[in-house]
Amino acid sequence: MFNFLFKKENRVEILIFEYMDTLKLAQEKFLDAINACLENQRCDEFEFLITQTHKYESRADDIRDEINNLMYSKALIPDSRGDIMRLIESIDLIAHFFERVLFVMQTEKLSIPEFIVLDVKDLIRISLECCDLLSKQLALHLKQKPGIRAILGIIDTNESHCDHIERRIIGKIFDSDLDTCLKLQLKELILVMGEISDQADRVSKRINIINMKRRV
Amino acid sequence: MFSLLGGVFLGWSLGSNDAANIFGTAVSSRMLKFWTAAVIASVFVVIGAIAGGRPGIETLRGLTSIRLDQAVISSVAAAVTVTIMTVLGLPVSASQAVVGAIIGIGILNNQINLSGLGKVVACWVGTPTGAIIISIPLYHVMAAIYNRLNLSVFRSDRLLRFGLIAAGSYGAYALGANSAANVTAVFVGAGLITVFFATLIGGASIALGILTNSRSVMETVGKKLVNLDPFSAFVVALAQAITVHIYTLIGVPVSTSQAVVGAVIGIGIVKGVNAVKKKTLKNILLAWVLTPVVSCFIALIINFAYNLHYIPH
Repeated sequence: MFNFLFKKENRVEILIFEYMDTLKLAQEKFLDAINACLENQRCDEFEFLITQTHKYESRADDIRDEINNLMYSKALIPDSRGDIMRLIESIDLIAHFFERVLFVMQTEKLSIPEFIVLDVKDLIRISLECCDLLSKQLALHLKQKPGIRAILGIIDTNESHCDHIERRIIGKIFDSDLDTCLKLQLKELILVMGEISDQADRVSKRINIINMKRRV
Repeated sequence: MFSLLGGVFLGWSLGSNDAANIFGTAVSSRMLKFWTAAVIASVFVVIGAIAGGRPGIETLRGLTSIRLDQAVISSVAAAVTVTIMTVLGLPVSASQAVVGAIIGIGILNNQINLSGLGKVVACWVGTPTGAIIISIPLYHVMAAIYNRLNLSVFRSDRLLRFGLIAAGSYGAYALGANSAANVTAVFVGAGLITVFFATLIGGASIALGILTNSRSVMETVGKKLVNLDPFSAFVVALAQAITVHIYTLIGVPVSTSQAVVGAVIGIGIVKGVNAVKKKTLKNILLAWVLTPVVSCFIALIINFAYNLHYIPH
């Protein structure tokens, strides 16, 4: 009832879910690209999957712009407007890190050494698990369902786990007899990979705060 | 009928100023478009004036009995006072200006209804106090209901918007019912128009002020006066409307500005924050004393000037 009075708000709600679905597609292409790289070292498929990741990331950007335009045209009350805009902005950084990981590997022509492949796979798996949980947490927040704090706890634990793996990988890199320059390049890459779970954790905490703030 | 223009002018300036107290928060924070707010406020002001304006008019006409020329003088004096206070940046209470001007005329006629005046002055002090007393339990009750509903971001957004429109409409109704007396009671007292016609002219002139000149005041005063979250803004609007409505039922025209400040102080007490600045409070207290005094003085001066006669030697 009265839904016709809130066309913009309804559109924003639909777009947020559309944005998360597109981000999920970018995430899948990112994982495929990483796996392609880890399993076959450099391959043609890797280049194609980078383009695919970029395509979905750009589509997510377009949706984000549409959400922002609707917000600027006075959809939602200012408090909710600010919260949602900042939330989408911080989620967008995750997609930015997907792209950055792939671009670093592409432009610096990096391949992951055999002795850290398993750790990197673990790091990526847990980081993407954080992203999936984040997506669920956002859906719970938008539908005002319980379980937000529980997911926050899991993402926080996963993020700490990722930090441990990240440090372990960097330690292994510097213990190896790789070229110093390559060591630094790999360290940089691992740090960017680590940013995915860090950002998911930051967004998750933000969702929790927004949710608590809404109680009067 | 030409004499009524003084009242229309007063109603217009009252509408320009007081609409900010009703929809100021919603418009300045862009929860509501100006034109939506202005049209809703105008419609409900007219309805309020016609449906509930009679008791206020009966009270003000009973303060003193005045002639038509004195009715015009008191309206113009009140409108000039409102303008001066607005220029000085002091919160304006049109009802205080009108009462001050009527008292000025009453002094000249040597007839003031002291019991009626006492009732009016007591209600001036009671307006912010009443708003504080109403806003505190109202906030707790509304917060309990709101939290129990456990709404999603989008549903809560819709509810708050509806709440602000409903509270604003109610506030506009109360403003019309309460302030029509400020605009046209003196003309009823002077026997120029009937009570019904007075409510109609009062409501329409306030609505005209809202539609033509309230935008800047609504956008700036709304921000200056209240800086609250949407839920608190809704409670402030509702508490203000209830307070003004209660005084309307008693039959005393009161200031919506004072009711809003009272409601904001109430919310400040609940939330444990200083929602209203001390300087704002000091200005309001100053305006409480100054407005009726200045208006009374201006009415006396205009009356004096009006009665000057050229006597050739």
